[in-house]
Amino acid sequence: MSTQTISKLSIWRGGNSPFNVSYGKLMMWVFLLSDAFTFSSLLIGYGAIRYSYPSTEVSQIESLELSFGENIQEKFAAPGVDAHHGEHFIPALREAGIFNELQWPSPDLVFNHFPFAHGLHLPLIFVSLMTLILILSSVTMVLAVEAGQRADKKAVGKWMFWTIVGGFMFLSCQAWEWTNFITAGAEPMSNPFGPPAFAALFFLVTGFHGFHVFSGVVLNVIIYINNFKGTYEARGHYEMVEKVGLYWHFVDLVWVFVFTFFYLI
Amino acid sequence: MSSQANKNVDIHDEENYDPTVWVPKVNSHGTSDIWNRFWILLGLTIIDVGFYFILAPGMIRNIIFIVLGIVKAWFIVGTFMHMKHEKKGLSYMIIFPMILIIFFLVWMMYEGHFWETFK
Repeated sequence: MSTQTISKLSIWRGGNSPFNVSYGKLMMWVFLLSDAFTFSSLLIGYGAIRYSYPSTEVSQIESLELSFGENIQEKFAAPGVDAHHGEHFIPALREAGIFNELQWPSPDLVFNHFPFAHGLHLPLIFVSLMTLILILSSVTMVLAVEAGQRADKKAVGKWMFWTIVGGFMFLSCQAWEWTNFITAGAEPMSNPFGPPAFAALFFLVTGFHGFHVFSGVVLNVIIYINNFKGTYEARGHYEMVEKVGLYWHFVDLVWVFVFTFFYLI
Repeated sequence: MSSQANKNVDIHDEENYDPTVWVPKVNSHGTSDIWNRFWILLGLTIIDVGFYFILAPGMIRNIIFIVLGIVKAWFIVGTFMHMKHEKKGLSYMIIFPMILIIFFLVWMMYEGHFWETFK
């Protein structure tokens, strides 16, 4: 019969996968699509609430005469006082009317800290570093997947290790970011920067994303241990690395949009 | 336990398809593409931060950020998640709903702007 020479995968005749993917990988894609809907609903809610408030005027930011890397502490705090932003910078901006409940705060006046650079005005630098860390850990993950396709157990272990390190680095950065935000006086129901929804949405969306990163790190550790034990070598394929890789890239993908919406727009 | 059972079954067999063990044959596409995409993503992030400081806040700047975000998503999904090596049917299944979401997102940002007057 002539049909026997045609692979079932080139023309679908039932009895195999029409998309040429395994059951587990297809279900991972379906899960990621549903998770993308969840994050989209949060970001759509953010976009609508964000634009129901006026933005901070450019003239208001210019009136502060802040330059990149300037020492805010010397400018706003009493001489010789070592204090947090919440004790000099934020009250000064509230007094000037730049931070008030009726307008959305400008992200570069809120997220302008950097570790070991206490008191300096460094907007967006820390969050750019976090983005770099997450993109790099995504690259090491895809290198682990590529090593798995060559069935190179040692290389999978090496790249999974660096992916886990990247995940922990990102989580630590987020913990530092949250600590600063809370120390400055932000609470789920109120904050000194602007409308209550500003901090509420920040905690909700970055918290939900951070929980995804945490789950991803746990899954990566499980993959690392299984690979170390030789589970995938015995199974004959490393598709589990690929499936968890899809989840990890999705977490990176969501961060691209969280970064865009919370820190840039 | 499962590895014992798998030794008797060809996991790539197309004619005796068993969904619990079947996986397609995979081959590596090399690493040069991956590093190439990394530099593109890094460059786009730097351009994002650059635009934040150069351009005045407003709808034009926001649209540039959303477009750059979609370009970054394109490279992450296409190369890192191997979407460009998948069957077209699978990629349409994932991408088409997300295109509608982008439309909804821009629409709700615009809608939210009108709520300002009701406060």
